[in-house]
Amino acid sequence: MIFMEEKISFIKDGLRLDGRRAEELRPIKIEVGVLARADGSCYVEMGKNRVIAAVYGPREVHPRHLQEVTRAIVRYRYNMASFSVEERRRPGPDRRSHELSKVGREALEPVILTSYFPRSVIDVFVEILQADAGTRTAGINAASVALADAGIPMRSLISSCAAGKVGGEIVLDPMKEEDNFGDADMPIAMTPAGEITLLQMDGGLTIDEFHEALELARSGCRQIYEVQRRVLIEKYGQLEGERGERTEVATCD
Amino acid sequence: MTNVISEIRKDYLYNLMLRGERADGRSFDGYRDISIQRGFIEKAEGSALVKLGKTQVLVGVKMQPGEPFADSPDRGVIITNAELVPLASPFFEPGPPNEMGIELARLVDRGVRESKSLDLKSLCIVPGEKVWIIFIDVHILDDCGNIMDASSLGAIAALLNTIVPAKKFGLGEDYPLEVKDVPIATTAMEFGGVILFDADSDEEPIASTKMTVITTADGRICGMQKSGTGMLETEQVYRIVDIACERAREIREKFLEV
Amino acid sequence: MDRIDRTIVVPGDILSEDEKRSGEGTYVKDGRVHSLLYGFANYRDNRINVIPLAGKYVPASGDHIIGIVKDITFSNWIVDISSPYDGLLHISEFPKRIDSEEMSLHLRIGSSLMARVKEVDCTMKVELTVNDRRLGPIKNGRLMEISHTRVPRLIGKGGSMIGMLKKELNCNIFVGQNGRIWVSGNEDDMDLAIKTILLIEKEAHTNGLTDRIVEFLRVEKGSRS
Repeated sequence: MIFMEEKISFIKDGLRLDGRRAEELRPIKIEVGVLARADGSCYVEMGKNRVIAAVYGPREVHPRHLQEVTRAIVRYRYNMASFSVEERRRPGPDRRSHELSKVGREALEPVILTSYFPRSVIDVFVEILQADAGTRTAGINAASVALADAGIPMRSLISSCAAGKVGGEIVLDPMKEEDNFGDADMPIAMTPAGEITLLQMDGGLTIDEFHEALELARSGCRQIYEVQRRVLIEKYGQLEGERGERTEVATCD
Repeated sequence: MTNVISEIRKDYLYNLMLRGERADGRSFDGYRDISIQRGFIEKAEGSALVKLGKTQVLVGVKMQPGEPFADSPDRGVIITNAELVPLASPFFEPGPPNEMGIELARLVDRGVRESKSLDLKSLCIVPGEKVWIIFIDVHILDDCGNIMDASSLGAIAALLNTIVPAKKFGLGEDYPLEVKDVPIATTAMEFGGVILFDADSDEEPIASTKMTVITTADGRICGMQKSGTGMLETEQVYRIVDIACERAREIREKFLEV
Repeated sequence: MDRIDRTIVVPGDILSEDEKRSGEGTYVKDGRVHSLLYGFANYRDNRINVIPLAGKYVPASGDHIIGIVKDITFSNWIVDISSPYDGLLHISEFPKRIDSEEMSLHLRIGSSLMARVKEVDCTMKVELTVNDRRLGPIKNGRLMEISHTRVPRLIGKGGSMIGMLKKELNCNIFVGQNGRIWVSGNEDDMDLAIKTILLIEKEAHTNGLTDRIVEFLRVEKGSRS
C-alpha cells in the first residue's frame, strides 16, 4: 500500500499531519469505574487509541504455588482485540504482548504497597480495543486509574506517554503514521514527582536529542497526570453537590 | 475460582421466582435495558457496543479478501470468535477459548449463518480463488449475566453497520454490507420448574439448565441450543420457544430504530 | 499547615507538612504526609487519615463477620469471608462438641454463619470462632452485601445509625465488618431494610445523611399504610 512518489512532510509550518504542534498531546478522554464486575476499572481514549483497564484484587492466588508469603504479587496482562488493528489479528498473546505485559507491570509495581496483602494477587488487565500508536502508554494510564478505583494503596499514580523523532524533529505522543515512519520512539512512565518507572527506546537518537525527547515526554506525563487526577476527584465531586466550601489539597511537585 | 453463594440467597431468589417475582422487579420473561452503540470502533469495518443491563459486549467486524473453502469455491467465508477475557469476570481465565467461549462463538455464528442474513454468494470475488472473509469477533467486557444474547445482538448490530472495504484492496468503491435478516437470540434459564429470561449475574449461577432460541425477522427459528446439566420438560421447551419469538420481535423492532 | 476536611484525595496527594500527623491510609516521605489511597481525607485526634472509597476487606482480630462455608476438611470449615483471605473455623471453636463426620450436619457448603475473627497471623492465616451465644449458623432472614468501606457509616457514631434503623425498621440487623449484613423481620420490613441499607451505602460519604434516612423511612413507611 505504501509506495509514495514523494516523501511525506511530517511537519509543515510547525504543524504535524494531524494539525498538532510538536509539543502537543492528542486529545485524551478518561472515564473511571466503567465496569461492574471488576474491582476497579478505567476507559481511556488517547487520540484514536481506545483502551480499557480492569483491576481484580487483592484476591486469592491460583495456582497456589505462585503466592508469596510476605506480599501480593502483581500480574499485568496486555491484550489486543482482533479488531483493534488495521489487519485483523489472531486472538491471543504474541511475543510483543508478553513484553508489553512485563514492562506494564514493572511500570506500576514500584508504587504499589504489596506488603499490605501477603499471599494474594493484584491482577491488572488491559484490553486494547482500537490501536493507533501509544497503546502501551494508554494502557498504563488506564491501569493506574483503575488501581486507584479499586482502592489499592499506592505511593502515587503513574502517568505515561511517548516522545518520538519524526522528520528530524522531536515530537510528543506520536500517532500511527509518525510511529511507522519516524526515526525513534520512546515511551516512558513516571510518578508525578518525576521518578521513572518505564523507559523504552527504539530507533536512533543523539544524546542531545535524547535529552530533548525525555524532557518532552516528562511534560506530557505531567499533563496526563492532571487529567487522571481531575477525573478521579470529579467522580465524587459531583455527588458532593451543595456541600460547603471545598479546600484545596496540595498535589505532588 | 468458585462462585460462593449462600443457601439463604438461593432460597430467597427461588421463593421470589415461585411468586413470579425477580430480585430487580422484572417479570420472568422481561429483559433488562438494552443500548447499542454502533460504529464504536471506527477502524473496524463494522462494530457495536451492546449494553444489556450491566452486561457489556463489544463486537468488531473485519473484512479482507482470502481463499474460499475447497467445498464452497464461490462463497464468502464467515469466521466467528469469542474472547471471554479475564477483564470481564472474576471467573474468566486467560488463555484460548474454553468450551463456554467456543459454544458462544458457534451459537453467534449459527444465528448469522442459518438466518441467511448474509448472502455468501455475493461475497465472491473470483470463484475458486478469492472471496471476502468476514471476521466477527466478540469481545466480552463485563459479564453481568446473559452474555449470549448480548453477543448475538452485538454481532448483527455490527454487521448492520459494516462497510465492505473494497477500495483499500483495489476492488472498487466501498459499499455497505448487505444484511438480509436480523437474527435475535433469546436465552432462558430453568430453575426448580421456574423459567426466567435474560438471567443476570445473581440468577445465572443458580440455574442448572439454559436454552437459547434464535429467531429471524420472518418468524422462523434458525438456531437452538440447550445447555447445562439439567433437564427440560417438553412443555417447558414449547413455552420457551413461544416467549422467545415474542421477545425477539420486540427487541428487533426496538433496536432497529436505535 | 493542613487544609483538609473531608476532601477527596488520590494516592500521592500531599496532606500535611507535619509528619507527626500521619494517620491511617497515609505515608511519610521527606517529612511530608501523603495519601496512600483514593478516598476522603479527614482529621481525627490530631491525625490526618484517608478513608478509602473501595478496597477489599482485610480481617482483624475481634471483627464480627458473616461467612459462607465453601469447603470442609477433616477438622476445619473453610469459610469465605468476602476477603482475599479465607477464614478457618476449627471444629473446636464450635460451641458443641462434635465429631468430624458430623461437621456438615451443622454447617455444610453454602451455609452462612455469624462469626468472630479470633486471630490473624502475619501470613494472614485467619482463625474464626463461633463459640459465643450470639454467633453461629444463620438459619433464617436475609443476607446482603455492601462494600466494607461503608460499614462504619452504616453503624454510625456510637452505633447511632444502626440503632435508629433497628428501631424504625422493626428488624434484627447484624452488620459484619466484612460488609455482609443479616436482616430478620417480616417480609415487608426486610424489603425496606435492604432498600435503606443500599441507599446508605450509596450516599455514605455525603453530609446530612442521617436526617435524610430518617425522612426516607418516614415517607416509605407512610406510603405503606
